[in-house]
Amino acid sequence: MSLSFPTMAAIRFGYGFRPGEVAAQNKDDLLKQVNADARAPVAFPVGGIEQRHQVIADLQANLRDLRQSDDDDQTRRERRKVLQKQAQRTFQQDTNARLLQAVMSPNGFYERLSTFWTNHFSTSANKSLPMRLLVPLYEAEAIRPRIGGRFADLLRSATEHPAMLIYLDQAESLGPDSKGGMRQKKGLNENLGRELLELHTLGAGSGYTQADVRAAAMVLTGLTIDRQEMDMAFRPNIAEPGRHEVLGVSYGGDRRRPGDYLAMLDDLAANPKTAAHICRKLAVHFVADQPDDGLIAAMTGAWKKTDGDLRAVYGAMLDHPTAWANEGAKARQPFDFVVAGLRALNAGSGDGTVVAFLKDNDQNDDAQAMGAQGAMAPGAPDMGGAMNGGAKADMKGGDTADGSGPSMIDPGDENRVKRRKAMQTARALGQGALRRMGQPIWLPPSPAGFEESFSAWITASQLAERLGWARRATAQFGQGLDPREFLKATLGDAARDDTIRVVSQAPNKTTGLMLALASPEFNRR
Amino acid sequence: MTDFTLSRRGFLASACCLAAAPILTPVTFASMPGDKRFVTIVLRGAMDGLALVQPYGDVGFAAFRPTLALTPETGLIDLDGHFGLHPSAADLMPLWRSRELAFVHAVSTPYRDQRSHFDGQDMLESGGEHVSEEKTGWLNRALAVIPRSDARKAIDVNTSTELILTGPNNVDVWASDSNLGPARDETQFLQRLYAGDPAFAKAMEEATRANSASMVAEPGGPRGQKVADVAALAGNMLKGDYRIASFSITGWDTHVGQIGQFKRPVQDLTEAITTLKSTLGPDIWSKTVVLAMTEFGRTVRENGSGGTDHGTGGCAVLAGGAINGGRILGRWPGLGDHQLLDERDLAPTADVREIAAAMLYRQFDVTVDDLTAKIFPGVTFDKGSQFLRA
Repeated sequence: MSLSFPTMAAIRFGYGFRPGEVAAQNKDDLLKQVNADARAPVAFPVGGIEQRHQVIADLQANLRDLRQSDDDDQTRRERRKVLQKQAQRTFQQDTNARLLQAVMSPNGFYERLSTFWTNHFSTSANKSLPMRLLVPLYEAEAIRPRIGGRFADLLRSATEHPAMLIYLDQAESLGPDSKGGMRQKKGLNENLGRELLELHTLGAGSGYTQADVRAAAMVLTGLTIDRQEMDMAFRPNIAEPGRHEVLGVSYGGDRRRPGDYLAMLDDLAANPKTAAHICRKLAVHFVADQPDDGLIAAMTGAWKKTDGDLRAVYGAMLDHPTAWANEGAKARQPFDFVVAGLRALNAGSGDGTVVAFLKDNDQNDDAQAMGAQGAMAPGAPDMGGAMNGGAKADMKGGDTADGSGPSMIDPGDENRVKRRKAMQTARALGQGALRRMGQPIWLPPSPAGFEESFSAWITASQLAERLGWARRATAQFGQGLDPREFLKATLGDAARDDTIRVVSQAPNKTTGLMLALASPEFNRR
Repeated sequence: MTDFTLSRRGFLASACCLAAAPILTPVTFASMPGDKRFVTIVLRGAMDGLALVQPYGDVGFAAFRPTLALTPETGLIDLDGHFGLHPSAADLMPLWRSRELAFVHAVSTPYRDQRSHFDGQDMLESGGEHVSEEKTGWLNRALAVIPRSDARKAIDVNTSTELILTGPNNVDVWASDSNLGPARDETQFLQRLYAGDPAFAKAMEEATRANSASMVAEPGGPRGQKVADVAALAGNMLKGDYRIASFSITGWDTHVGQIGQFKRPVQDLTEAITTLKSTLGPDIWSKTVVLAMTEFGRTVRENGSGGTDHGTGGCAVLAGGAINGGRILGRWPGLGDHQLLDERDLAPTADVREIAAAMLYRQFDVTVDDLTAKIFPGVTFDKGSQFLRA
């Protein structure tokens, strides 16, 4: 290891240093972060897990009411738009909270693992309206509490969550010969069955066949959602009767039970190919695009020995010397970059400037959003636009003020304008910037999640976006920081002599701070 | 008035709205005739005073700068038979002729020897004798001691409050998004930053070639226009309730290829001054002083890459209808043997803080005691200051 332990630990296995935070000094410090008792309550979903279940049930009731109403089309569209706006606002608050969580948490390794697993079991908030509310809940209740335990438990918890069931169309899958399937003339949807084998467990090209995919989907039938409560449900009347053979093991019977698919999930979790696939993916994510075979062997060995105890697998990774070699071999992905940048700029202990700003903005958001409908500038994206228009829409709403016509400037309400601007800035530095960088929170491009390789993230346009972000962030939060001290505090001994020289010679402080965030070592890990 | 309305739209669209209200009460524009205005422009990155106002009459000058020195034959605009103005500042000549423009040569802050931009700008803006001695900006401290309260309203036209106006006294900040664009002198720093990392160097090269919108603006790109926008914004605020404004112009750190690099920031500065004049109109301009200053000058000799490195003595620019200009002020130390500081820099003969003190004294009746004790601790300034005649 050529860099000090705390530096490698913070940059490769965490979200970088935050001035005022105690850095991990050894492997035990890192592993302790994964322990349940080390974790503070998660900052999302906003309002808490219990309340979110209620909000989702309310949304479902409203949507049902809307479908059944006698209103004319125009009125229905408008009613739906209001519901969309509310959900979208909540989603924005959640993305902000997720950013805050990662910035503020002293458990960087646990936060990075949460990101890894949420991406491994990808779901997208873009799938449907309720998914805006469900996906943050999914990470909070199905992923995070399970990532320090057995893989089998995590697999079950992710697979059974309504966010997954909706995202991979399991809620639309019916056994073609089941009573329910025949009555509704609907049949099998293979989506979850396929991704379960290809992405979540065994891995692509690991030897399973199309017949296995279809059989797995058959075994999964019956597993669906209760649309009123938006909870998972098992309905035997839509489960395909009979036995279905997946990888040579037969599941099911005349009477179908949840135990059928649970047994299949357990078998898949215990399959050595799953261990190999997951261990390799972890190593690729944390250590190197082409990880050392010995590293993966050590991890799969720990998996085998402990029956898939993830904490033991992480421990084996951290114990292996190559995990601490070749610093900077990986690219910081956009979320990683943004979080690390905000942590670096959030000087001081406790709530530094960044966090104070984001929290303040969060509190103001309700009042702001209430008034926002009237003040929404022409051309500003409505919630549908922001979701579907992707980068373009968010650029308009979050990054520039060019959507703000005269209605935005109301001499009588300077505060509202101020709040709106603050929210725009927060969005421009958070989810808006992440959209433009290609990695918006909870909006992966496909069930396979975000790209992983160095070359995917260090490109010309990516660099341009990162420089733009660095400029904006240092202008917003860099006041009073000396670039030379900033560089030292955020990169420690990872700062190269070249970078130290260039940063200290920058033509002004803001540019100096920007150069520190733009440096190769800040964008590598 | 029509023009103003149009430009107001233009900058409202890109400006931060912290101080939206004042600009929306057009009836108050120019409603306080007789009030004086003061604008500071911080030239960040160390402006090469010897390139802006070139001592072509000095025998040694051309030898120090074989590729950079100009003469009236090669485009330099003669000012007084000894000094000449850089051709990119040609649009300032009408002001020079109408005596609304002056240059003060061989000035510096008390900062010596280290030549760090950060520390130099810290001194320039805090007004202290030593680095980090003062934690607030001198222009902010001045706000507290200006006798007439209606003259105190100040605006910082930058993304965030800059040190010069930072402190306990209330200052409004108008962020213009244009400040978020890349500074021209950023490019070379980024190239150096990535020089040792092929993956980043390649990405940077591609981005530069593609001229990505948010990336490196090509020379001749839209940024000059944006500096004019900032100046127009400041001018319009000064037409309203504001009496003091400050903004920055970057791009002066010309270590490499100065002959090309220097043109754009000079055009920016020129445009900033002419825009202020046209925005303010003849009446207010006649009561206005603009002081443009930099953290330090640059080496007398050009370096091996057609640029200049960090030096000491520099040049300050004074403009405005309230200036008795058309002159080069200060005491010229010469470029001969043993006249250079450390055998490399223009030797400073005046403290840039004295110029600022004189302007505060003249424009706002700040007392000599306040100026020398509170605003610029340690500065030499009294009623006999040469800059009171500027």
